[in-house]
Amino acid sequence: MKLGELEHDALVEVFNLGVGQAASALSQLAGEPVLLTVPKVELLSKQAVLDQFGGAIEQRVSAVRQSFEGALCTEALLIFPAAQSLRLVQIMVGENLPLEDLGEMEQEALAEIGNILLNSVLATVSNQLELALEGSLPEVELGAVSEVLLAEHDIGQPLLSLQVRFEIASKRIEGYLVFVLDVCSAAMLKSKLAALIERLQNEA
Amino acid sequence: MSHHTAPSTLGLEWVLGNVQLGVLVLDTALQVRFANPWLLRRARLPAQGVQGRALYEIFPGLRGGQFEARLRHCLDTGFPALLSETLNPAELPLYAPTGPATPDKRLKQSIQIMHMPAEVAQAVGERLVLIQVSDVTPAVARERLLKQQAERMHAMAHLDALTDIGNRRHFDLMYAREWRQALRAHRPLALVLFDVDHFKRYNDHYGHVQGDACLKAVAGVIESLANRPRDVVCRYGGEEIAMLLPETDLRGALQQAQLVLDRVRERGMEHVGGERGVLTLSAGVACELPEPGLAADTLLLMADRALYQAKRQGRDRVSTLQQADTL
Repeated sequence: MKLGELEHDALVEVFNLGVGQAASALSQLAGEPVLLTVPKVELLSKQAVLDQFGGAIEQRVSAVRQSFEGALCTEALLIFPAAQSLRLVQIMVGENLPLEDLGEMEQEALAEIGNILLNSVLATVSNQLELALEGSLPEVELGAVSEVLLAEHDIGQPLLSLQVRFEIASKRIEGYLVFVLDVCSAAMLKSKLAALIERLQNEA
Repeated sequence: MSHHTAPSTLGLEWVLGNVQLGVLVLDTALQVRFANPWLLRRARLPAQGVQGRALYEIFPGLRGGQFEARLRHCLDTGFPALLSETLNPAELPLYAPTGPATPDKRLKQSIQIMHMPAEVAQAVGERLVLIQVSDVTPAVARERLLKQQAERMHAMAHLDALTDIGNRRHFDLMYAREWRQALRAHRPLALVLFDVDHFKRYNDHYGHVQGDACLKAVAGVIESLANRPRDVVCRYGGEEIAMLLPETDLRGALQQAQLVLDRVRERGMEHVGGERGVLTLSAGVACELPEPGLAADTLLLMADRALYQAKRQGRDRVSTLQQADTL
């Protein structure tokens, strides 16, 4: 399954709208401006997403996972290389501790950051694409990127993968937003996207 | 009665009443429908009289903060929200069941807000909001303690036990860091190596205990003269002490070294085996403007050779290599 150019552009717009709302919530939390952008959206196989991590499937990552169910089912994951997640939490908390790993409390902070981001993005998707969804609470997972991504599903499964860029206090942190979709959900996403594009074209 | 079905409503009420975390149930108008005893005790609220009251009337402090924003978002989207202790330490005015209820004694909280799924709401007849509050005060205290210990261990691993200045491990780390920094910023980096004159004779004459005290005193003098934040003083070898001076040219480093030598001599610590009867130091000074391709240990080798030269020229002096000597 592939995304056409119009579909891609529509998704980038929807997701940028979503992370924009998350950015204002995170700015309040951090006490300084947080800028979030989604430069790229792709519908890929898991293998291709693993390849994006430089093929280094043993690379350690921190992930925040939330599942959303309703018109479609998806596991939404916000994934950072371990060192990047540590920096993000340190910047958000405003401490400069020489930490080597995320402690219990820092993991919870990461869960909150992920929760704000995933909720805002999914709320916008649900609004714009007219999909009714219910969400779960966030969970943090630490481990190799292969473990996090291949948890229970097969490697051929399509993933919607977005790159997310955080800019806080002139520092830049990059992570990935990944939506695990089953075949039905991927088809549903495409049809709802087509409907959105048609609505936009009719309005124009 | 069957043991394979869920307990009755009354049974479930008993369970909720004894759960060891805060449970607060609101309706969509944000009026309290239920608050469990755990929460009421810690909020210092009476067991009766909360039901039916507006949330922000009971907890006016929640207005305008993160809690209100996240609760609003949860109501709008139906998606659950998490407020972590690290980013929102103590949103609700909750305190230990006994003791003072002052702002600094607020319990550290982790809060979860959930909106009842539409399907369930239809069956129940109304849509409720569930707020769960965990007391993470002990976990926060434990992590703080661990961090403090980690920092102390880190500091200890980099401290020389005798002189209380940095040890060789610390020096190597700082040296590598400052060399890279000087390379990036195209700034000079200077190094002074100090050595106690005739320290073997000192030890032989006064004994090792006195020798240790002497080193400690010398280290104290050198450290008291390294005043800028990035200056580093470390015990480099037996009786050798290194002073790393970022952003310093050769002239500045020579002056600094001479100042140390003068201070130590002026203290007039007795040393019968010394040339003037008092304890003195020799110093080797080197300064470099690091360039890509220049070996990082260049400065160390040059300071070491300069120190050797100072010893050979009669001790109690500062020396540096002339350009011709370095070739």
